[in-house]
Amino acid sequence: MRRYLTPLLFLSPATLLILLFFFTPVVATILLSFTDLSTTTFKNPSWVGLRNYQDLLADPFLKKIFFNTVKYVALTLTFNVGMGLLLALLTSLVPQRIGDPARALWLLPRILPPVVYVFIWQGILAEAPMGLVSDILGVSKNWLVAAPWTVVILANGFVGASFGMLIFTSAIRAISRELFYAAAVDGATTWQTIRRVVLPMLAWPILFVTAYQTLSLLTSFEYILLLTDGGPGFYTTEVWSLRAYHLALSNYFGNVEFGLGAAMAAVLVVIGVVVSLFYLKIFNFKALVSEPKIEIN
Amino acid sequence: MRIGRYILAAVLLMGLALAQKTITIKAWTIGPDDPSITRLKNLEAAVDRLNALLEIEKADYRVKLEGDFDTTDWDPYLRRVLLAFQSGEAPDIVQASAAPLIGVWATAGYIAPITAETHKYGTFRDVFPTLWKAVTFKGDVYGVPQDTEARPLYFNKTLLKKLGWSEAKIAELPKLIERGEFTWDDMLAVAKEALDKGVIERGKGYYHRPKNGPDFHMWYRAFGGTSYDEATGKLVFDQEAALRYFTWLKKAVDAGVLEKDRLDGSWNRFHENVTSGKVLFFSGGTWNWAEWKTQWVKDKGGEDWLWENFGFAPQPAYKKGGKPITLSNPQAYMVSANSKHKELAVKVLAFAMMPDLDARHAVGSGHLPVLRATASLTGDRFIREVSYLLNYTTFAPQHPDFPKWQDALYRGVSAVESGQVSPEEAVRVVAAEMKRALKDQVVIK
Repeated sequence: MRRYLTPLLFLSPATLLILLFFFTPVVATILLSFTDLSTTTFKNPSWVGLRNYQDLLADPFLKKIFFNTVKYVALTLTFNVGMGLLLALLTSLVPQRIGDPARALWLLPRILPPVVYVFIWQGILAEAPMGLVSDILGVSKNWLVAAPWTVVILANGFVGASFGMLIFTSAIRAISRELFYAAAVDGATTWQTIRRVVLPMLAWPILFVTAYQTLSLLTSFEYILLLTDGGPGFYTTEVWSLRAYHLALSNYFGNVEFGLGAAMAAVLVVIGVVVSLFYLKIFNFKALVSEPKIEIN
Repeated sequence: MRIGRYILAAVLLMGLALAQKTITIKAWTIGPDDPSITRLKNLEAAVDRLNALLEIEKADYRVKLEGDFDTTDWDPYLRRVLLAFQSGEAPDIVQASAAPLIGVWATAGYIAPITAETHKYGTFRDVFPTLWKAVTFKGDVYGVPQDTEARPLYFNKTLLKKLGWSEAKIAELPKLIERGEFTWDDMLAVAKEALDKGVIERGKGYYHRPKNGPDFHMWYRAFGGTSYDEATGKLVFDQEAALRYFTWLKKAVDAGVLEKDRLDGSWNRFHENVTSGKVLFFSGGTWNWAEWKTQWVKDKGGEDWLWENFGFAPQPAYKKGGKPITLSNPQAYMVSANSKHKELAVKVLAFAMMPDLDARHAVGSGHLPVLRATASLTGDRFIREVSYLLNYTTFAPQHPDFPKWQDALYRGVSAVESGQVSPEEAVRVVAAEMKRALKDQVVIK
């Protein structure tokens, strides 16, 4: 027992936080999802078992929302990881005095408050004479309404890309110089160096960024909420988490369904866990954390 | 000796001052349109008048109002109110749409019945009786009517002239609509002609609100639909009427009269295009008139510009000889169930039910008065000329689940208009969603 005491002591703060901020909400959400809690039943909710889940299955809009979510996560993720990688490589290839300010610039969308950031997007995309895009292209359109998916993905992507960029840059910096010298001595081109030296060393950060971003995209909806609120039109950009939010907390006429919203959120938790396991499997997590076969110092 | 008397007097006065209590009444109100600030200002005036009376009566308390006026939107406002109700921290007075919120909140037990209190004050007796019906749920009064409105179909007279209509023909239009001789299809035909002749830009033949709201229910009813069965107390969805409505929307989009992305969520864009004189027909509310007057055409001549350019009528019938309609969504002040000063709150509301305050709100915000005495008091031309629309008015049913019905219908509208599904498919989807959300509370016809 004694030998576990110190590790347990060190683990306890993190464990406590996870219990408090992850485990408890999950349990609460799952419990809520078995009730009919809504505006009208708030004072006397009743236990309805799986009815909310049956309701979800009967929802004629659910299929559309599910595929919207897949589309949103897949496209934004591709942009985030791809752009992050590209930015990291480009800013690492150029001298540091140019690379560093370029990276700092890409951090701007992330440090702006979302409301301000979205406000700028809306301004840029408005109809002429206010909108920049309409002015430049000479076609006066509300571009946010004309191409909602492109905007949603780019607006999210510009924020998300900087995350990958930072992680990948630090990973590239951590690659031992000797490997680059060795590649140069062997006559490798820049592309070959990237392909054969840099990218293999980035496998773990790429797994981390992909997994992390998938999960955060699955649950994030604030930029969509502010940009399109799931519209324009018929659930055009409504994703799973936004729908859960709309059901549980937002209704023009003031009648919200907490129980049903919680059921949607609970499904999202399950999807999140499944996706994480899938990532760990395809990226061969065990091999990544095993003892290195060679030691480079 | 003298000093002693002064001290005694001072002590007595201080004692009086200390004995006098100040009771704080909290009130939350919303426009969200700016001119409706009188929903709060009238409460402030009521409290001032009440305090003046308390002064004369030498009562041992005075009232202080802690008020709030929201100009964001209904969704965040109602969320705030809901969370306040649930945490037991709701203000004493909450203002919101009477139907269906009184049904929803009374069912939930958030607002208090005030039937007995409303009989106490004479000022309440002058309220239009139909409005009392709007604030009554299961036999109990749950609110005090604050204002009402109508939702007209506006038309741009200047554009009609450009299309070749004579002054007389334009002046005749509201009457044609009233008699059911100018239908939705006629409107579509006129708008199409305007588009073909280059009088209007594509998509600007007809505008409706850019986001969810009570009007979609009104249009569904204009196309012959019913939403509530008094006998069974259940909601109704009439698939034929919905199909007529959805088909019209599709025809309008296909003809280039209605924007495919009309539901873009932007009120600013709606007002901008309407008040720059680009839109031929547009459905709005009477309060829009006040917004346009004070915010959008202020520099172009204000209300005179509106009279010169815009006309209004009820929403047309869908077939010749049919009945046109409009919808009123009366606002009400409600007293929350957790208020410690319910009686006093109603007293404040009684002082707010004064014809001068009612008139100030009606004229300033483009809403219609709730007191019979007010109509004669205001010389406002708009209020005078638009009030006849109330002859055609309808209300939302006071059913606690009606919000879900409205949401489902709105999804159908957005699906058809954006061209994502056919009108027939949209009717099926709406019916399925209503069945899911409302179970046995809805009858699909």
